[in-house]
Amino acid sequence: MTPILELANVSKRFGGIQAVKDASFSVGEGEILGLIGPNGAGKTTAFNMIAGFFKPDTGTIRLEGKDIAGKKPWEIGEAGIGRTFQLSKPFGDLTVVENLMVGGFARNRDRRVNREKAEEMSAFLGMAAKRNIEANNLTAFDRRKLELGRALCTEPKLLLMDEVVAGATPSEAGEMVELVLKVRARGISILIVEHVMKVIMSLSDRVVVLDYGEMIASGPPKEVVSQPAVLKAYFGERYVQSRA
Amino acid sequence: MNTKTIPLERKDVEKTTSLPLRPSSLVAVVVLGGLALVPALVSDSFFIHSLIMILFFAYMSTAGNFVCGHVGQLSLGHTMFSGAGGYCSVLLFTQLGVSPWIGMIFGGFLAAFLSVLIGLPTFRLKGPYFTLTMIACAEILRIWVENTNDFYGIPLKGAEGLVVPSMGDDVWAFQFTSKIPYFYIILIMLAVAIFATRLMERSKLGYCLKAIRGDRDAAEALGINPTRYTTLAFAISAFMTALGGSFYAQFFRYINPERNMGLELSIDMAVMSIIGGQGTVLGPLLGAAILVPIAEAARGTLGGSFLGLHLVIYGLALIACVLYFPKGVIHPLGRFFSRLFGLKETRG
Repeated sequence: MTPILELANVSKRFGGIQAVKDASFSVGEGEILGLIGPNGAGKTTAFNMIAGFFKPDTGTIRLEGKDIAGKKPWEIGEAGIGRTFQLSKPFGDLTVVENLMVGGFARNRDRRVNREKAEEMSAFLGMAAKRNIEANNLTAFDRRKLELGRALCTEPKLLLMDEVVAGATPSEAGEMVELVLKVRARGISILIVEHVMKVIMSLSDRVVVLDYGEMIASGPPKEVVSQPAVLKAYFGERYVQSRA
Repeated sequence: MNTKTIPLERKDVEKTTSLPLRPSSLVAVVVLGGLALVPALVSDSFFIHSLIMILFFAYMSTAGNFVCGHVGQLSLGHTMFSGAGGYCSVLLFTQLGVSPWIGMIFGGFLAAFLSVLIGLPTFRLKGPYFTLTMIACAEILRIWVENTNDFYGIPLKGAEGLVVPSMGDDVWAFQFTSKIPYFYIILIMLAVAIFATRLMERSKLGYCLKAIRGDRDAAEALGINPTRYTTLAFAISAFMTALGGSFYAQFFRYINPERNMGLELSIDMAVMSIIGGQGTVLGPLLGAAILVPIAEAARGTLGGSFLGLHLVIYGLALIACVLYFPKGVIHPLGRFFSRLFGLKETRG
């Protein structure tokens, strides 16, 4: 697989804390890559560097071969990376369709085309019946879906998703997994940061595990979760010893 | 992929789009059209003068609302643009004999340039900090002009102000002996401003501004550069405000720093759009229609005996409005009329 996104030796330090250290990994075209690790492992920092919210101290981040490290968030959005937020950020006083239209305007000035596209997207999200509701009045899960749809309306090549099922019920989580697979079926590569193992296991083609800012493992999810280094990072030294 | 929309919903979509115009646009056309007929029916000159003042403030408020309502930043320094516009057109006319019609366009560009200069560093500020900075900038300009008689050969004449020499009825000189031409000029300016606001709301700029106001980080993630769009809106707003300033100078044939650059005019503009409905197309017009007659009546009946009474009334109206109609009078009024005509509720 040719990589669409490639991180090489990316590091970021906040004062005395090395948040990400020498991380190198890539997302292949049409791949779903899961980025996991215990709390404070540097997942969100890595994510924010790709999205342009932080500038990496060293290393390169390449989107289809072009270096995007240190670019502004809107330049990265324009370059073809869409993202969702850990706490979803819909435009509260706009309706579902209007929210989606904002995404469309990133690529196209024509209001009519954007409106049609937004209506289509609301159907894709399973929110057609709610398309004229203000985002403020949506449930937390609908807001999350709306945010995903809004990012999709910018026609990204790569989608960054931060904690897609946090706070969702099991049936909602199942719906989200299906939706993400449908997004991939549209030919969009996805980088996903997630805590819920069940979701990561069922979605990811490959996972990358971070701990204290360092990459400790990578590979297919089933293989990675049984590696001692990963178990140690999640459950501690004694858990691994007791199993041995 | 399922692209079909649910048939049940289709009905209300058709209901809103089957009207030739959206209800708010329809109201705008009816109100402005009705106003255009007024001079044919009423010839009382005080009445026409009051109407001109209402339209002038509605125009200024609409121009200011471009930034305050749509970007969500309250600017109380917009008079620096009206002042810059007014002084530019008056000076070009008195010094170089340039028609105020052309001078006001120059003034508009000068104000737009000024707004970019001030906007780029200050738009990073939020809420009260931005408002205070704008007041400071406007006051600096006002005090400077008040104390400058001559600026490299340009006679600003300080606090005394500039008088536009009378030319009688002269279209080219933007001067008329009757008030009626001024009435139509400001009416057309207001109509254009309202139309421009409507157009902007539906364009990429409008959606980007709403997104920035909604959530800056999320807007950035969608490829929107907040600085670019807020600066653009600020410049358009400054341009329109400057045209209003030129009109004011031509209408009274007099311009001075206090009236054209003072804080009072800025407050008037802001209060009218807040009471009418910020970020709406017709809110500023409604706000002006409510407040200007009150101010005129207070000035007319009490005159010198109670100076500044209209400001007290503004204050009371603002308190009442913030308490009972925090989004502006236009929202409850819109709901009332929607119910009256059985239309689906629309916003703005």
